[in-house]
Amino acid sequence: MKQAIYGFVIYIFMMLPPVIVISESNMVIHMHMQMPLLIVIGMLFTPLLKQKFPRFFEKWNANGIPGIILFLIILSYWMIPRMMDEAIASPFVEAWKFISLPFLAGVPLRESWRKLTPFVKKIVYVFIAVLFGLMAWLYIAAPVQLCNNYLISQQKALGWTFLFMGLCLFIYFIQTLFIEDYE
Amino acid sequence: MKRISNNLLSIIIILVFGFLIFFVSTDGFQAFTAETARTKELIEEKPQFPNVTLEDSKEREYSFSEFSGKYVFVTFIYTACTDVCPELELNMAQVYERIPEQYIGEDIVFLSISFDPERDTPETLEKYRSYFNSDGETWRMARIPDESELKNLLDEFGVVVIPDDSGNFTHNSAFYLVDPQGTLVEVMDYKKIEEAANKVTAILEKKAGEKE
Repeated sequence: MKQAIYGFVIYIFMMLPPVIVISESNMVIHMHMQMPLLIVIGMLFTPLLKQKFPRFFEKWNANGIPGIILFLIILSYWMIPRMMDEAIASPFVEAWKFISLPFLAGVPLRESWRKLTPFVKKIVYVFIAVLFGLMAWLYIAAPVQLCNNYLISQQKALGWTFLFMGLCLFIYFIQTLFIEDYE
Repeated sequence: MKRISNNLLSIIIILVFGFLIFFVSTDGFQAFTAETARTKELIEEKPQFPNVTLEDSKEREYSFSEFSGKYVFVTFIYTACTDVCPELELNMAQVYERIPEQYIGEDIVFLSISFDPERDTPETLEKYRSYFNSDGETWRMARIPDESELKNLLDEFGVVVIPDDSGNFTHNSAFYLVDPQGTLVEVMDYKKIEEAANKVTAILEKKAGEKE
């Protein structure tokens, strides 16, 4: 319950118009601060939702695979350059972002993660690392402006942060191969 | 057994849902950037060129209707630009050269519009024009002195211009073709010179054929 309250407070905070303006003024902050925070908000809501609807998650996400697929779909979806522009241009897409990232990515991620076998977890690490690698390549190498609302220099910066995050994830993945998971 | 089938069912529902959101948001997997979506929309919408007053490199002032009855090949530039605009204009010059001579000036006029009217005075444009062998007559370079008219035009044609800290602009670029009635009919990739030249020539030939 406490977690849900924290989540709710951050959620409201993120929705304040000046906060939205700041968090979308820079491409890196938009993609690597605002969007992950929205996912975290969803994760904070998860215990409460599980308490309220225990049967739903057990019935439809028994082994965690559907949930993690949903998470990966939503994550990939918000990597599309066009979606960043549209979120800025259209209030509907903006609302869709604020709903989909917490509830269709954050909640299923936390709900599913515990249920996944170590092997599936490794697949997820690799998938995201590869996805981020591809995004890094796209944003660094693209000769044209991918988002009309952002400068090319920001686009390149975003590419490098993607590369950094992808590498971190990959290193984490490598260590899981050698070090026992005590969780 | 029942648990497994529920799992499978929800996986299928999620995959269909994922496919749908991707499909809808990218116009059927066609437009992954706002720029491609914009181009597609512009060609479907066919906006009218708004009535603006141009001031060209020879200090002549006229409204866009000066060109009615002719196709107008338009690009948007600013002369202080060091990356995209020179390339855009060089490519425009190559398209200009590829259009059969009998059409130039008669059926089609080339026009480079500056969105930086403060710095791009007629003198600056006159100098800039000479770099690209534009004659100032059949290929004119002009600014739009009135700010609200300029903004309106950029909005209509979906040109997004963002000033940065060092006095430069980041902007999207394309070749625009406006028909003799002042309607935008084509938005072309400025990197595909051959393709643009062929398309424009075909349109001009078709128009010439209708006249005969």
